[in-house]
Amino acid sequence: MLNTSSPADPAAAPDGAAIRMTGLRKSFGPIQAVRGVDLDIAPGEVVAFLGPNGAGKSTTIDMLLGLTRPDAGSVSVFGDSPVRAVQAGRVGAMLQGGALLPDVTVRELVGVFAALHRHPMPVQRAMELAGVTDIAGQKTTKLSGGQSQRVRYALALVPDPDLLVLDEPTVAMDVEVRRAFWASMREYTRSGRTVLFATHYLDEADAFADRVVVLANGVIVADGTGAQIKASVAGRTISAVIPGAGMDAVAGLPGVVSVEQQASRILLHCNDSDTALRAMLAGFPAAHDIEIAAGNLEDAFLELTAASRQESNR
Amino acid sequence: MSTTTAPTPSGTVGMTVRYALLSTRTAYRNVRFLVLTVALPLLLFLLYANLYQGQDTDTGLSVVAYLMVSMASFGCIGAAINTGARVAIERQTGWNRQLRLTALPANSYLIAKAAVSMLVTLPALILVFIAGATVGDVHLSATQWLDTGLAVWLGLIPFAVLGLVIGFAGTVDTVQPISMITYLGLSILGGLWFPVEQFPTFLQEVAKVTPSYWLADLGRSVLAGDGVPPTAVLMLAGWTIVLGVVGVFAYSRSGKKV
Repeated sequence: MLNTSSPADPAAAPDGAAIRMTGLRKSFGPIQAVRGVDLDIAPGEVVAFLGPNGAGKSTTIDMLLGLTRPDAGSVSVFGDSPVRAVQAGRVGAMLQGGALLPDVTVRELVGVFAALHRHPMPVQRAMELAGVTDIAGQKTTKLSGGQSQRVRYALALVPDPDLLVLDEPTVAMDVEVRRAFWASMREYTRSGRTVLFATHYLDEADAFADRVVVLANGVIVADGTGAQIKASVAGRTISAVIPGAGMDAVAGLPGVVSVEQQASRILLHCNDSDTALRAMLAGFPAAHDIEIAAGNLEDAFLELTAASRQESNR
Repeated sequence: MSTTTAPTPSGTVGMTVRYALLSTRTAYRNVRFLVLTVALPLLLFLLYANLYQGQDTDTGLSVVAYLMVSMASFGCIGAAINTGARVAIERQTGWNRQLRLTALPANSYLIAKAAVSMLVTLPALILVFIAGATVGDVHLSATQWLDTGLAVWLGLIPFAVLGLVIGFAGTVDTVQPISMITYLGLSILGGLWFPVEQFPTFLQEVAKVTPSYWLADLGRSVLAGDGVPPTAVLMLAGWTIVLGVVGVFAYSRSGKKV
């Protein structure tokens, strides 16, 4: 059903979604960074955007924040355009990299950022939440990588946003700071705020998000809870000698994600090894020397993204 | 009252003013900026005032008054160009992306930056004029001082635009040399360091298309009580329009890159 007030943009329908992306595409010259992303995020969800470097996470986030215009498709934030949502102070974001404004102190920077929003939280509170009160008087140019990240977090918090977008927030943080950061974020989201954070650490996504969306080569390849993602990506590998079997035929078996030849053996990377094994034995009764191994989580994750890369090259 | 407890203006105007004030404050914290745009012209003027005390130019204006306008213009041009050029640094370090995540609209950012460029010229202008009135023995009525100051200050508009053009066209690496060359080049060519009359003939012709020449011409003319010269106003307005068009182009191009 179309929203009559803006029929050209069905994504703007006021149905309560915090974020709605529909058919989002973006290319930079010949490189297709985002190749059709559809995603709905409900208010209050804490969602991890998981993917390797170059998966299109940052480009998607840029479009979500109104920093980049999509080539096709639409994105809405609380039923409004990203730019309008940002200007209304409903979105706070921690961008990846980039220096902070030079020649100012942390307090001044957070202060001026607060002043540039419609209904900011008190500067002191934002600095406390981000853990930067001890460095409030320091110049931004004198900060360590981890300290700069915390200042960026303070800048994301100070608009008092309903949606917090964090692009690889824990980069440059050491383990202890990282833990403190997530604790603080949890504290902040307890009040029902929506969070979308990008990461390339599966563990981080699993530990801190209610929902994990896996992005690879500009498309969503998996979407579910951390446990579901783990179950689907951390599949098992069947290894067997299968006389006379074509690779394509093996790859077409149910439950098989991808296959590879390793000397005389064929490796079947599965998301459902039980089904795959039954089908293999039924289809190739001559198969022998069968071994089944549980996949390594990171390897399986790479496998999943590699599979989508092959597909995109077709 | 600290910035922490300062009331937060909710309107766009308040935000623009707040951002302009922060930018102005940070500009003054930059030591290199202060030396280049305030200390250098002031010192040069004091030196010249000492050398040429009591001498008159062909037009009857005292040499010191002539040089006072030159040095004030010199410092102000530096302040205006350097401030605008800092936009390149804010742009490339990613600060502008961060700024686009606020309620500050893009045109307010431009207005704030232009306002800052104009504001930071004031110390050079005022200090050189004070030096002129005291050490330089330049005697003018209060109205004359005000008119001259205002004429020079308004004549700086094309230079503020020029700074922003450099800021949007340049990169972090190129912006320093470009703004330095532009600043010194315009100052020398426009006759702020040596009178244009001492230039070779062809350079005199070149000088007469520079905005810096007409800025000083405007200032001296008002100071001498000859009123506002229409040619100077036309030339400065022309430069503002041309640079404004180039600036809009550079700005939209830079936006696509971000």
